[in-house]
Amino acid sequence: MSHIHIPDGVLPLWLWGAGWLLTLALVVIAGKVAERHEMRRKVPLLGVIAALMLVAMSSEIVPLAYHINLTVVGGILLGPVLSVIVAFIVQVVLALLGHGGVTVIGLNTLITGAEMVLGWALFHMLVSMLSRRRAGLAAGIATVLTLALTTTMLVGIVWLGGSGATGRETGALDPADLKFENPFATGVFSVGLFSGGEEHADETDPAADEHAQEPTLSVGRFAAVVYTLGPLGWLIEALVTAGIVGYVARVRPTLILSGALAEKQRRIPGDEAGGL
Amino acid sequence: MTADRNVAAHNHTHEHAHEIEPVPGEIVRVSCVRHSYDDGTSVHLCGLDFVATRGQRIAVLGPNGAGKTTMLYHILGLLRAQEGIVRVFGVDPSEEWPAIRKRIGVVLQNVDEQILAPTVADDVGFSPRQYGLSEAEVALRVDRALALMGIEELRDRVPHNLSGGEKRKVAMAGALVMEPELLVLDEPFEGLDPAARTMMGKLLRELAAGGTTVVMSTHDIDSVPEMADYAYVMGPDGHIALSGTPAEVFSSADILAAGNIRPPVLAELFMRLRQSDPDAPEPALGVAEAAEALLKWRG
Amino acid sequence: MHIGAVDQAATLGTSWLHRSWPIAKLVAFALVLAAAMVTWNLLVLLGIVVLLSAAIVSSRVKPGLAFTLAAYPAFFAAVFALASAPDVLSGFVIVLKALAAGLAAVTVALTTPYPQIFAPVQRVVPGIVGDALLMTYRSTFLLLDKFANLMTAVRLRSGVSVGQPVRAARATTQALGGLLLYSFDLSQRDYDIMRVRGYQDRLRVAVHPSTSRAADAVLVATTLAALATSLLWRIAADSLNPYSWLVPIPALFALLAALVSSRRKS
Repeated sequence: MSHIHIPDGVLPLWLWGAGWLLTLALVVIAGKVAERHEMRRKVPLLGVIAALMLVAMSSEIVPLAYHINLTVVGGILLGPVLSVIVAFIVQVVLALLGHGGVTVIGLNTLITGAEMVLGWALFHMLVSMLSRRRAGLAAGIATVLTLALTTTMLVGIVWLGGSGATGRETGALDPADLKFENPFATGVFSVGLFSGGEEHADETDPAADEHAQEPTLSVGRFAAVVYTLGPLGWLIEALVTAGIVGYVARVRPTLILSGALAEKQRRIPGDEAGGL
Repeated sequence: MTADRNVAAHNHTHEHAHEIEPVPGEIVRVSCVRHSYDDGTSVHLCGLDFVATRGQRIAVLGPNGAGKTTMLYHILGLLRAQEGIVRVFGVDPSEEWPAIRKRIGVVLQNVDEQILAPTVADDVGFSPRQYGLSEAEVALRVDRALALMGIEELRDRVPHNLSGGEKRKVAMAGALVMEPELLVLDEPFEGLDPAARTMMGKLLRELAAGGTTVVMSTHDIDSVPEMADYAYVMGPDGHIALSGTPAEVFSSADILAAGNIRPPVLAELFMRLRQSDPDAPEPALGVAEAAEALLKWRG
Repeated sequence: MHIGAVDQAATLGTSWLHRSWPIAKLVAFALVLAAAMVTWNLLVLLGIVVLLSAAIVSSRVKPGLAFTLAAYPAFFAAVFALASAPDVLSGFVIVLKALAAGLAAVTVALTTPYPQIFAPVQRVVPGIVGDALLMTYRSTFLLLDKFANLMTAVRLRSGVSVGQPVRAARATTQALGGLLLYSFDLSQRDYDIMRVRGYQDRLRVAVHPSTSRAADAVLVATTLAALATSLLWRIAADSLNPYSWLVPIPALFALLAALVSSRRKS
């Protein structure tokens, strides 16, 4: 994989909730912009590009059991507005099929969307510097840069979410004092459910200090892992992207170099009214 | 009566559109249409005018690349003619598709791509649902369409898992669900076994008898005599070279050969017989008629 | 990607879950997801996982398929946990949370046809987004088939094998390039077809009505109870943690009942 999907239940509510809010806002804006520009005829294209990315994620590059994402390819084909929509769709379908987190659809969409938009922008910048004949190379370089940036984004998200979550505050079981009390022997109402409890930790108890300083998610270790394994994934993704973009640039250059909104494409007459 | 033949005489252009009066019962007219593709190739559907009238079953024949599908796409308003006239129900379909779309049913060549829903019933109900009909009305129409195609037992199946022939029947049911006045079919017999082909032929005959116009492009030459009342033959460069009843069309061996079209087996048989013996009977395109003619000839 | 198997299970199943109202299932899904997210208690999470397992067994879908799909997020969560969890217990909790969320998602996916899942969503997002969501599923089928055919052709023509990773990677890349071109042309043909079949401003999908209000109520009530339990064990963690062992018990009973019932029906 070119990046790690954040699993459910690790990040605090405020973070993944904000991810959802921001994603929904961006998707709504992108949808409205697309409709204003009469991109209704692009609905099937959004569907197939999202499907293409999903198919790519299911295909393993033998023998590494690594899967690619084609996010930069998708971004190049669709441009920034439609990329936001497709990023969202891909994450939703992945979550539905158990391949990605559900609460983190928002954050994962932001990362995927950033890959697509950044990939598009960097590709066009590099093509203008390197020439159209080097479209494959431009796409490869754009992919490496994009993935490096979005991996950093990912680490940033984990850093934001990794602080402040302690075992005691989150109601976690502590194996040190795991017990199996019988509610009927001690009496349910005497447990202290409604009275605030009899078993508050003594605040002068040194053990309380220990619990208060429970370690949080190790962002440093996480960053070390992703920055160590990540470049291999970036390289593979870059090679595949360069190969695909180079191939398509030779066979159908308008698709890659002008994007999905190239004028030369066949337009369906009668669509200009914005939906019939 | 000989088939109409023309190569250059009927060259209508867009400027003369208003001069072409529709014939009685005219449903479709395609007249000297030109279309250029992005890769620089172009198709010039000139020669004879293509005309389809109410209740006709018309076959469009021609070699690969002649422009059969291009013509069908113009009829469906998916392409706009750069030159020439396309008229369906009296209007240009590329300009006024919403006005006529409910009257047209379509089955394109690749039925895998035509199926849009997760179950057969959902797919057949796609069009009425998009047109805003109530769920009760949709259900009624779906039942009728499935019964017409004899595929009620496929109602809850996943289309993706069906055989090619079954998918074609589902696509056909989806085209018939709105009871169209014009049916446009691209290779309707592809993937069908002989029994299904016979069923389809019978269905098209009944639809035509009820006033539905059928326009189909096909490579299945042997089916044409049974499935079509009228045929148009396109040459390799797209011009419409020949039109007439199947008997008339299949007797024009030279034009068929130029278009790389093999006539039906029976037509070819009779042509060879007449080459050896001018007293051999006229071509009969049905098996029963052919047997009768041969027995009579034998004395 | 088991999308074909998922689609088959969702469309052809006849269990009480398959017949439940799609909106009730989505509500239940949100509730059980919230329950899994709220708690950091291992035993409460275990209870949720067992409850979801009971739902899967009672829906009579292939358990192997469901648990294989849910294993993916669990696996990636394990990788994440290895990389960042402060201790083993937290690591297990991270994995169980992902497993619970994954099981909840696949339970919905395996018992609800795709358009039914997204028809309610389609109503609240911009038209182009909702329609594209619906088109994606179908396009995935077509592209998976096409890709499989392309890879077969590539393997036959180039003779690549596992022992030739570079060649295999190059062949796969070429196949993906071909697939991209096919995809683009397919999208144009898709639009042609949708247009001639009546598509105008929005894809209209009928939401299946409820076939049993009682079943829908049980579904929502059970998941509401799961959320209430999670919240309770979080708010009163100090008092209730010693009794956490009680939480999985009702779920285990539910699983047992589902197993017995499915054995009887088969």
